Amino acid sequence: MELKVERKRGQHFDWMLAGIVIALTAMGLTNLVSAAASGVEGGSDIVGRQMSVLGLGAIVAGIVLVIDYRHYDRFAYVIYAGSIALLLLTLAIAEETRGARAWLFSGRFQPSEFAKIGMVLALAHYFGRNPPSGIRRIRDLIVPGLFVALPVGLIVAQKDLGVAVLTLLIGSTLLPLVNVPLRAWIGIAVVGAAGFAALFQYGLKGYQQERILGFLDPSRDPLSSGYQQMQSKIAVGSGGLFGTGWQEGTQTQLRFLPTQHTDFAFSVLAEEWGFLGSALVLAVYAMMLLWGLLIARNSKDTFGAALAIGLVGTLLWPAAINVAMVLGLAPVIGVPLPLFSYGGSALLSAAISIGLLLNISMRRYVF
Amino acid sequence: MNDPFGDARLSNTSDGPSALRMWPMAAIVVAIFVIFIVRLFQLQILEGEDLASRSQANYVRTVRLEAQRGAIVDREERTIAASRPAYGVDIIPHEIRNPWRMYSVLGSILGRDPTEIADKVGQPTGRGRFKPVSLSKDLPLVERAQLAGHRYAMPGVELYRKPLRDYVYRSMGSQLLGTIGEIDARELEADTFTNYRSGETIGKTGVEAANERHLRGQAGGVNLVVDVAGREIDEIARREPTPGGRLVLAMDLDLQQAAEAAFISDDPEQPNRMGALVALDPWNGDVLAMVSAPSYDANAFAGGIDRKAWNALNSDPLRPLRNRAIAGVYPPGSTYKAVVAAAGLAEGVIDGTTEVTCLGHFRLGRRVYRCWKRGGHGTVDLEGALAGSCDVYFYELGKVLGVETLARYARLFGLGSRTGVAIRGEAGGLVPTPEWKMRTRGERWIDGETISLSIGQGANLTTPIQLAVAYAVIANGGQVVEPRVVLRRETWDGEVIEEVSPVVRAENVIARPILEMVTQGLTSVVMAPGGTGRRAQVPGITVAGKSGTTQVVSLDLVEGMEPEDIPVRYRDHALFAAFAPVESPEIVVVAIAEHAGGGGGAVAAPMVQKVLARYFQKREGQVPSQLAALELRFPSSLAIEPMSGGIR
Repeated sequence: MELKVERKRGQHFDWMLAGIVIALTAMGLTNLVSAAASGVEGGSDIVGRQMSVLGLGAIVAGIVLVIDYRHYDRFAYVIYAGSIALLLLTLAIAEETRGARAWLFSGRFQPSEFAKIGMVLALAHYFGRNPPSGIRRIRDLIVPGLFVALPVGLIVAQKDLGVAVLTLLIGSTLLPLVNVPLRAWIGIAVVGAAGFAALFQYGLKGYQQERILGFLDPSRDPLSSGYQQMQSKIAVGSGGLFGTGWQEGTQTQLRFLPTQHTDFAFSVLAEEWGFLGSALVLAVYAMMLLWGLLIARNSKDTFGAALAIGLVGTLLWPAAINVAMVLGLAPVIGVPLPLFSYGGSALLSAAISIGLLLNISMRRYVF
Repeated sequence: MNDPFGDARLSNTSDGPSALRMWPMAAIVVAIFVIFIVRLFQLQILEGEDLASRSQANYVRTVRLEAQRGAIVDREERTIAASRPAYGVDIIPHEIRNPWRMYSVLGSILGRDPTEIADKVGQPTGRGRFKPVSLSKDLPLVERAQLAGHRYAMPGVELYRKPLRDYVYRSMGSQLLGTIGEIDARELEADTFTNYRSGETIGKTGVEAANERHLRGQAGGVNLVVDVAGREIDEIARREPTPGGRLVLAMDLDLQQAAEAAFISDDPEQPNRMGALVALDPWNGDVLAMVSAPSYDANAFAGGIDRKAWNALNSDPLRPLRNRAIAGVYPPGSTYKAVVAAAGLAEGVIDGTTEVTCLGHFRLGRRVYRCWKRGGHGTVDLEGALAGSCDVYFYELGKVLGVETLARYARLFGLGSRTGVAIRGEAGGLVPTPEWKMRTRGERWIDGETISLSIGQGANLTTPIQLAVAYAVIANGGQVVEPRVVLRRETWDGEVIEEVSPVVRAENVIARPILEMVTQGLTSVVMAPGGTGRRAQVPGITVAGKSGTTQVVSLDLVEGMEPEDIPVRYRDHALFAAFAPVESPEIVVVAIAEHAGGGGGAVAAPMVQKVLARYFQKREGQVPSQLAALELRFPSSLAIEPMSGGIR
């Protein structure tokens, strides 16, 4: 038995996923070098710091990987409770930075990034014991709904709109799995829309409302929220088919977008590598996500499957929101592009997700 | 066994490949990324053309706003190099309608031949069509006004404002400040210049190059919406440039000016002096003045120097572009005797009372070495030998010490290797040894060479700045300091970023009492009645120094010629190295006048004197009165007294 476990570990290591992730990380870092070379605020340290976080991320992923994922199943609720406690702590003691109270350790640690994973673990634990295919009534969704609502509510209270929306989307990643009839979906949609309207009216600050309105009507205020959107489109557009070349982007190197190393990293990629480069990166990224779903399919238990799907969600939704924002398809909300944007917490959270996916993959169902 | 938790506590009831529906999720992933790629295609391929070119009526043009290059100021924050706004004109080939008509109009405004403009623009293809071709970087006011007036009638002609370098004192300290110029293809490839783009101005030599990163600043830009005629319709975005940082030099403008003036000939009939001068603070290495003559007007480089002017400067036989103070190598001549004296004392070969009788010549084997004073100095001790620059005394001393010992001490003083001054192009000089001769020439060392060496002739080579560092060692009691050119770096608005700390490369290289004895001899050179350096005297200050006169060619070549008849390039170099005040030295000055046609005492000492005089004039009030100083230092004539004040 012991021998079998040991053998499985080595033999079934998922080189494919690891390879894709390493490729994306390398592209992300190359891109960041260029974004930083333009001399954005704190420019000279950016690459070095990102590299040390990458190193830390590799270690964290390694640790996450060696512990059989079913142990996470056992402790899912404990981990979830821990992440909620961190969110509460943040709410209690964090100082306001950039209009939000979402960071600890003077802006270096963002607990909400890790709460997403705690939430996914709790949901997977729940669905592992209550298989989604058996869930037919809306009221069966109340418990998992609460698992999602709690962190989302706390993150809204931190006034971190971007991550709140993100967490909500990740939480709903598992919804398509359940067998709830159509009219129930409509009900959810109506409640959701009402909730969003209420959030917009009462939960958002003036400038956040402004951003959304600015997105719907870019001419509304060309110099602030609409500006970034317009500027991002110019940067992407000036890339053309082949791009301007690494470190050659006029928009990038003149720093028209102050957050080009974080939220707008993809605009740098699109400008300097053009359609061919950025479409390739998107394709590789999609491949990583689809591979994640394949891991879910091959997992040996429902917990593993549900966890893998949730983890794919933690990688899909930030990328979807971020790229949509850069391409002018969504309002400007501060969500980083996993593996590409500069930022420690998001990168570490992505490393944990990937470590868990590799974990499930190498302990997959073997015939 | 290897699982830290053990499997026992895990649910082993794997429920098999899960029956979850994956396809909706996969469909969502695929749909999202397909939408993104379609959107990218739309922005980059379909609309991208509109943004980059002018297939539509309006398009976006990005105009780079160059940052002002940071100011260079002296230690009292007086501006030496600044930036001034200037106007330039570019042509964007792709936007030119009717090129020939345009070139002739431009030609008449700029006073240039239309064909020359046409050649310059050429027939670029591909991306090159959008690349601006610069016609002028510094337009006179009238031309600028005329061009501005015709602006909209001349699509493709771009008038822009860009800061230009302005060297306030033109040719003052040009080689130290260095040159600027357009970055070239090779530099663009180098790692040091990542994120530079072609056409940018960079420091090429001197302080400008050594502090390129600091002085550069950050360019800004504007995104303009322009119509077909290039008219600006709207401004979408603007990033203001950040000016480059301020650089505070250790240089003192007053001293620098005095030092420059020292090279100007008193006699209008005579050409100005050539050579170099370095003034150092012996304690921290501050480069208070650095002159290399002849110089050139640094402003010639400000707007990008044209080929003709550059060729002229570069091929000038007097080599004005070369910084002689750090890159010029000269035999140190008799200034080297201070080093030999220190070696003799330290090795115990001589002491202050050791006497040598100079009859005007010295014999080694069959060869006779002459003292510069044909009649001889008579019997001299060390102080007298230094004061009168007696060659025979040092021939004897050098013979006893031997070449290896001489070389060892020369190196202790920092000779024969770069001083580490933070400017490119420093020469290392040469301390010859038998090993060196064998390696480079494949010949054995001849004892006679040691004799030449001991009076600073022969293969011995030093740079002026090395000599200044060596004399600073005597002045400060044994510390080899690294010359410091830059005092501190500040942001453009004066916030201190970095203070450059002084660097001591070696401590206590020679025992202090020995240096005090050498100083005593050097003091006599300037202060004693028979001293060779009396023309370096500054009223009220005790100056120590040493003259040097170095042969450029073998004596046989000029034997029997009248001084005026000797061709300039055969004339001797004149050197003088000094520090003052002896009681607690504050400044070291080394001057070298190339092919001066006069001795170090006659030509170079007065040059050093001018700088010292200016220095002490400036801090008048703190200087002890003339009387007190004389009393303190020289109770009687040349009698050897223990140094009361000593050196610090």
